[in-house]
Amino acid sequence: MNHSTYTHRSSFKIAYSVWKALFLREAVTRIAASRTAAMWLLLEPVAHVGFMLFLFLAVRLTQIGGIETGVWLMVGLLAFLMFRRTATQAQNAVGSNLALFAYRQVLPVDTVLVRACLEGFLTIIIALLIFACAGLFGLNVFPTDPLAVIEAFAGMWLMGLGFGLTVSVAQQLLPDVGKIIDLLMMPLYLISGVILPIASVPQPYRDMLLLNPLAHGLEAARLGFSPYYYAVPELDMGFLWGSALVLVFFGLVLHRRFARRLMTL
Amino acid sequence: MIIVDEVHKRYHTDHGPSRWVLQGVTLTIPPKVSVGLVGCNGAGKSTLLRLIGGVDHPSKGRIERQCRVSWPMGFGGGLQGSLSGRQNAKFICRVHGHEEEISDRIAYIQDFAQLGVAFEEPVNTYSSGMKSRLQFALSLAFDFDVYISDEVTATGDAAFKNKAASAFKKLADHASLIMVSHGEGTLRQFCSAGIWLHEGKAHWFDDIEDALKAYKESIPAS
Repeated sequence: MNHSTYTHRSSFKIAYSVWKALFLREAVTRIAASRTAAMWLLLEPVAHVGFMLFLFLAVRLTQIGGIETGVWLMVGLLAFLMFRRTATQAQNAVGSNLALFAYRQVLPVDTVLVRACLEGFLTIIIALLIFACAGLFGLNVFPTDPLAVIEAFAGMWLMGLGFGLTVSVAQQLLPDVGKIIDLLMMPLYLISGVILPIASVPQPYRDMLLLNPLAHGLEAARLGFSPYYYAVPELDMGFLWGSALVLVFFGLVLHRRFARRLMTL
Repeated sequence: MIIVDEVHKRYHTDHGPSRWVLQGVTLTIPPKVSVGLVGCNGAGKSTLLRLIGGVDHPSKGRIERQCRVSWPMGFGGGLQGSLSGRQNAKFICRVHGHEEEISDRIAYIQDFAQLGVAFEEPVNTYSSGMKSRLQFALSLAFDFDVYISDEVTATGDAAFKNKAASAFKKLADHASLIMVSHGEGTLRQFCSAGIWLHEGKAHWFDDIEDALKAYKESIPAS
């Protein structure tokens, strides 16, 4: 093959080509892994929203905190899924890409970053589709403050990324951590306020629930949809973004420190 | 030039660290010299190759590569089972920064591996022979100064073996090889120098014959 084409690549250029290659590869495996993979990607959150909506409407609960139950549930759930899907995909990125570390260019942190981006991207598409469908059913799906909704979703994604970065290292070094994280994920769904209006929880328990940054993200996303929504008064987006940035930083430090251990397991 | 400086290696298992596989290996492999690695099973030949190839890292010590070194050819990893041969090849081209010439390289790989329609099928449907054909073709599609080969010439059917051997000879014009093989003929054919690995130490011989002799003398006569 031709020799003259080789030039010394800068670190950033190498990282960029690795990200691009990984992104395309992950997208293909995520969407076309099996005949029904693409269908389940969409159907899983749709079924989730549909089932919850059915339960709530069956007990004739038409309004929560001043907005329609459907919007309340849909926005909260999608914001939560933004976190959970990103986190679970990212935390398993290192384990399922061990074979790729045969190429010196690929680092464990690359696989986590790429998976988180892909999952965030897919969740945005899914969320838009679900909002569009709900709009056709007559729900008021146009946010009054779109920037606030974007801010909340971006914060949830960043939490997912930070969580994924941190857990992906911990899980590879101590396999039992993965099991504990799975256990923690179950109550997280409840205490983040996906199906439980946190504003209706009395003090001092509400303050305890609000120690969870995800709860702030969910409330902010709902508030962005309607200014008449009775969000929790203690709502603080700084807390969500601060926690997310701390987690991301911590995760990157762990990856920096343990990159070799992760590759040689 | 590849400098291996006081390299120690042991593996980590669930029951604590293993024995030391390499204990203070110090070598300098000069440019344009093809080297054969000999030693009994478990002497650390593959471990040393993996360290030189950058797939694994030494527990202690340092390896410096002042040239472009391939990943170990015929190395089992690096292919994703659920993706087709073509998709895997594209991934590797992209990682190595050959985005623009991707179609040329793919054509070369496809032509060399001669997998036929299987090139479009998932890699986990391949036989081990087909897999090693693909891996061999992949590593030849990129320009390296040093190719690392772990028993790669031993795979494939007779026709592919001939093809691989002639490709190897062509490589020798502009690149060098570091190889592990249990076939003395293969080592003599491709390598001029030799490294004998024994009890965690490496011994350098300028002539592969001397390395093979030292290796044979170390085996107790049965």
